[in-house]
Amino acid sequence: MTSRLLLLPLVLLALVRGASAAEPVVVIVSSERSPAYQEAADAALAELARGGLPVGDVLQVTAAELVLQRATPRLFIALGTEPAAALAGRETRAPVLCTLLPRASFERVLRESGRRVSDQFSALYLNQPHTRQLDLVRLALPQARRVGVLWGPDTRQQEAALEAAAQGRGLKLVGAQIQPHEPVFNGLKRLLDDADLLLALADPQIYNSGSIQNILLASFRAKVPMLAFSPAYVRAGALLAVYSTPAQIGQQAGAIARGVLQGQPLGAPQYPREFSVSVNEHVARSLGLNLEPQVLTERLRRQERGS
Amino acid sequence: MKTNKPKNHLISAALSLALLASSQTAWAQGQAPISEKDYLEDMPVVLSVARLPQRLDETPGAVTILDRRMIRMSGARDVADLLRLVPGFRVSNSFESNSPQAGYHGSWGDYSNHIQVMVDGRSGYSPFLQGGTGPGLQTVAIDDIERIEVLRGSNSAAYGARAFLGIINIVTRDTVDTQGVAAHVARGDNAIQDTLVRLGWGDERARFRLTADRRADNNLSGASGPAAVNRFNFRTDLQAGASDQIELRAGQALIEAGVGFAGQVGNAPRTRVIDSSYLQLDWRRNLGPDQDLALQVSRTQEFDRDNFPYALLPGLTIDFGGHATNDNLSLQHTLRVAPTWRLVWGGELRREAVVSRPLFDTDAAFTTDFTRLFTNVEWRPQPDWVLNAGGMFERSSLSGEHVSPRLMLNWHLAQGQTLRYGVSRAYRPPSTFEKSANVRYYDPGSGALAGATFVARGGVEAEGVLSREIGYLGEFPRLGLSLDVRGFQEDVRNFVRLTTYPLSFGLQPCPAGTCAYDFVNGENFSIHGFEYQLKWQPWQGGQVMLSESFVDSGWTDNGNLAARPFSNGSLMIMQQFATGMELSLMYYRADSTNFPGANAAAPAMSRTDLRLGWPLRLDGRRGELSFVVQNLGPAYQDFIPDFHFRRQAYVMLRLEG
Repeated sequence: MTSRLLLLPLVLLALVRGASAAEPVVVIVSSERSPAYQEAADAALAELARGGLPVGDVLQVTAAELVLQRATPRLFIALGTEPAAALAGRETRAPVLCTLLPRASFERVLRESGRRVSDQFSALYLNQPHTRQLDLVRLALPQARRVGVLWGPDTRQQEAALEAAAQGRGLKLVGAQIQPHEPVFNGLKRLLDDADLLLALADPQIYNSGSIQNILLASFRAKVPMLAFSPAYVRAGALLAVYSTPAQIGQQAGAIARGVLQGQPLGAPQYPREFSVSVNEHVARSLGLNLEPQVLTERLRRQERGS
Repeated sequence: MKTNKPKNHLISAALSLALLASSQTAWAQGQAPISEKDYLEDMPVVLSVARLPQRLDETPGAVTILDRRMIRMSGARDVADLLRLVPGFRVSNSFESNSPQAGYHGSWGDYSNHIQVMVDGRSGYSPFLQGGTGPGLQTVAIDDIERIEVLRGSNSAAYGARAFLGIINIVTRDTVDTQGVAAHVARGDNAIQDTLVRLGWGDERARFRLTADRRADNNLSGASGPAAVNRFNFRTDLQAGASDQIELRAGQALIEAGVGFAGQVGNAPRTRVIDSSYLQLDWRRNLGPDQDLALQVSRTQEFDRDNFPYALLPGLTIDFGGHATNDNLSLQHTLRVAPTWRLVWGGELRREAVVSRPLFDTDAAFTTDFTRLFTNVEWRPQPDWVLNAGGMFERSSLSGEHVSPRLMLNWHLAQGQTLRYGVSRAYRPPSTFEKSANVRYYDPGSGALAGATFVARGGVEAEGVLSREIGYLGEFPRLGLSLDVRGFQEDVRNFVRLTTYPLSFGLQPCPAGTCAYDFVNGENFSIHGFEYQLKWQPWQGGQVMLSESFVDSGWTDNGNLAARPFSNGSLMIMQQFATGMELSLMYYRADSTNFPGANAAAPAMSRTDLRLGWPLRLDGRRGELSFVVQNLGPAYQDFIPDFHFRRQAYVMLRLEG
């Protein structure tokens, strides 16, 4: 116990020293030190470096270490939900860019902290806009008309927006509400009878490593392919996914950060500009589909630029 | 009731395993709220290489798939009924009264033993008597079936010796699809009384299904009694971890039917009972997106009770009863070696034991051990070419070693159009009865040998077939049309047939006095011809399935009959109306064919069935009321001249909740 008490002031001292040696210009706060966060941080660093900010002027800490951090940088970049929540509750003059988190998480952070979106507190979402997902449906599966969605507690509020986006593209939403603690397959069964494809929207109550087996097997049996939100789902057996990689997010966050350092406002929350499409070619083959991920990505990009 | 003992062990083992499973269903509830982790975390591989079946246009052979909708709308009460829809099949669900006949490219005897039947990957082939698929086809309730895949053509390379001319793969519904309570009741002419109750429960981690059903009727004029099947089937699917899945199945079917004829002392009226039960454990382990392992352990038991007193000799009982067991252990490894190479390989150990004092004149078990090694390589040298090369090495303690190779080349000549050519060789080893039958009768008073009917001399060897086929598969999605054509040449060698030979204590009259029956390798003959199957969705809610086969068989029953060509066909028209009402019409026809012993036994037939269905909503439960007429026309002779299939109608009420 004594050794711990001794150790703590030492650590604090070290941090204060480090901070006083050179006040960081940007502090990147990650939920944890795992490869995905590091990939995003590295991309942000590279982008900042391109803008002339030396790597030494950027400090990287985890959300847990933030408590000990008294630095007063010109910008915080929060990578993930946990640092976003931590920074939302912190008195700081520096603006906070929350990124590598889905919109639903950012909105919960706002609700729980009582903060409002401003030039001091904004976000670059990790998830894709519905318009992009539905445009991909039209490109990859032009015959599909009925888009099945399982609505859970974290996605229910997106229904109206998705409905509007679908209507504009000649698509029809077929939804099934999953009540908390209700097995997913009850709703899934109804849905698969009526849908041409299953649009998976991240919601841990519905899509998790325990439920994915049943969902993918049932949808494959029903010949209803899944359009998912991460490459892990494609590897698991979803037909395709549109997502932004941590590097793509990090790069765009770095670009926003460069703007802030040059005096531009943080701006309104935004969706990622860059994205990737991946296809499970084995699933595609067994469904008799021929999909080229690069071609789909390119066509989707062109379509977005054109509109 | 001594014979019930092992069966009870089987059932209680199944139930205790199920209880064990259900006690481990604690499932991590209370998920964390959404965060970036949902987008960044890894997921277990679900649709791994073994889970992704070959596409129809890349399989090494012709496949007919009967899906749930078709099964339901056919009004069929039996799997055998459905096989009339498959090109090349001739079916009698009344021939043996309690064991249907479904023969492909010919009817060569009382039992359909030239095709294999698999139920959820477990062989349902009965090793009793001459071997056969009859009991296997009646394993599960038709309502529990997801689809039936019929692989037309020899498939010993993948399924072993019994897949001599084809495979019937029965796939039951996933437990996800049968959650809740379901029941149906049918009543109709000829004492049709079908009842089913199904319970489905569980969660993401463990799901269960228990189905109990009874199918009963007296629809066969000329039969000495009604036919009934009482079944239960249990299945559980367990998620034993991110990459392990365990499935456990158990079931029992009690098949009873009135057989025999009044006035025939050697075939007196009686009730024959086949009591068949099974226990099956499947364990699948996923080794990544490109590799899977599957282990199966199963046991199948069959008790046959079939006896009657011999009127001419009081005290003597004629008996055909006995029991058979199959134990199986198999391991299969599926892997994608490279994007263009997919490999399946594995092995199987199988032990079949048959015990019957009446059939073998001993209480000792006749045990046959099979060792099988199999592989199939799917190679795609060009995007438009798929080569399937495979084979099975099989060692049987009864009939030695055989290799069944197969080579099939599929060429996608245009979008949606495939040509297929291939060669395969298959064997069927003789059954224990064919090899070792020893049916002797003893004077009940003195104990002296009174006579014998089947006394095998043991000389019969495996029969073989060399199949060559050319196939075409066309998919025309714009027209809603698909066409499958198969031309075939099947050269059968050493065909196993029944013969008589002089035996001093035999019973058959023959030139030398008395004779006994034996099985020998007989004629060599060729079957060639072609068949097609057309599926068409001409408009919304409508579907048409047409199939015909034209078979020129050289089989003459060893010169007793004249070889002759025959054809059969089926047409099914289904329509679902906007109101939800369904109408379907089925027409089947078959030319007369040769049948061992008596030409009159397999005359031409035709039959038309009609089904009307109305969806129901009762108390928030989904349901359906249907009305089915089978054989709208006059009664037709079903194989044996004494048997006629009459017109019959039934009404069925189905509820799901």
